[in-house]
Amino acid sequence: MTLKLIIGNKNYSSWSMRPWIAMKAAGIAFDETVISLYVEGSEAAIRAHSPAGKVPILIDGQGDREVRVWESLAILEYLAEKFPAAQLWPSDPAARALARAISTEMHAGFVPLRQQCGMNMWRPPAKRDLSEDAKANIARIETIWTEARMRFGAGGPFLFGRFCAADAMFAPIVSRFETYAIDVSAPVAAYMQAVIALPAWAEWRRAALRETWVIRKFEYDWPDVKRLATDAA
Amino acid sequence: MKLVIANKNYSSWSMRPWIAMKAADIPFEEVFVPFGAPLGNDEFKQRLSAYTPAGMVPVLIDGDTHIWETLAILEYLAETFPDRRLWPADAKARAQARALAAEMHAGFAALRRECPMNIRRPVRGRELSAAAQQNVARIEAMWGEVRTRHGGPFLFGKFCAADAMYAPVVTRLATYGIKVSRETLGYMEAVMALPAFAEWLQRHAARLREDASTADERRARMDAANPKYVLRNPTLRTH
Repeated sequence: MTLKLIIGNKNYSSWSMRPWIAMKAAGIAFDETVISLYVEGSEAAIRAHSPAGKVPILIDGQGDREVRVWESLAILEYLAEKFPAAQLWPSDPAARALARAISTEMHAGFVPLRQQCGMNMWRPPAKRDLSEDAKANIARIETIWTEARMRFGAGGPFLFGRFCAADAMFAPIVSRFETYAIDVSAPVAAYMQAVIALPAWAEWRRAALRETWVIRKFEYDWPDVKRLATDAA
Repeated sequence: MKLVIANKNYSSWSMRPWIAMKAADIPFEEVFVPFGAPLGNDEFKQRLSAYTPAGMVPVLIDGDTHIWETLAILEYLAETFPDRRLWPADAKARAQARALAAEMHAGFAALRRECPMNIRRPVRGRELSAAAQQNVARIEAMWGEVRTRHGGPFLFGKFCAADAMYAPVVTRLATYGIKVSRETLGYMEAVMALPAFAEWLQRHAARLREDASTADERRARMDAANPKYVLRNPTLRTH
């Protein structure tokens, strides 16, 4: 039986994007179920899959042997163990330690940036005024990316050369930097281009732009909902 | 290996890898950098930078490798010392242990805000907001479910990294006199009975005895260092 991934809206749910893009980029087959967040019945629908009440949720197997994993990081660790050939973490221990440290920093951090620049893939790119805290988050993320690329990025365009779980953890940040037209250095722009060039990225974005669920609290110009055309390049 | 930590009274993030390493019998040198330095957070950061460029606690230093973020430290230790079984041996249990640990890592903001770890605070009840009560209910449900499945006394039978992640929550529930079920109390007792837990408290008490300043002076010093913030990342983050 294939793996099953329960996710939220592709347009808005940055946590859902992380394991999804990791699995696609690593060639791990799975079925997906999309549940729109913040609509009538969605909370109950998510709780039916996991008492934590949060997406994403990975379901592997069934019956007594069924494993349900919640929390993006725990899902990525589970996948890394189950599919060692996919090399979801770098093979070098020092690189792997840094990959986990920055993934964990992403997992609990950058709250001002996340609040002020919510992931919203169909929003046409434009700058927003940001707080000092959010600007500090951006500076820290640029440092993280640049340092990982300098130390371990020689073998490819991603943070640790080839694509790994850390890139999946930061993929929604790439989307935010693009949507909110954040000014970045040339090496950071090159890294972002590598993520955006992933076929998995294009597949996710295409589906996001076609979604019809509009979540008011994530639309900063409500009642105006600015949207790219569904076939926008 | 060196573990750089901050105050044993306040730094819940420092407690997690410390107690994991002690309980798993992994030898390490402890480097203590207090929050409450006279010049406040700038001095804290400056002192810390002598040990690590990461600019936050806790940090594990193994040769040239500096690892920050508690969960990443625990993963590194689990890999480096596989015989210590920092994660459960069974794949399904291990996946759940990681999910519990990750939920702790990024969650329960209301409880953490309203009940900061403060070991020397006298035990006194505190009214919790609805959000913090929900956090407690979720924590009790999670603990109950995995302990029932794995038989206790710890979350997954034997002590593991998930217990280390929740050890500061155990102190918070105790310090603030939060009403919990008998099952939850049983778990709290198991954690508090760990020799590593007792050692953390003893080391804290010993440091207080060495510190000649009065409680008021210590409080003034902590206030000067802005106790509303706890350093976890290079930028200050609200508690």
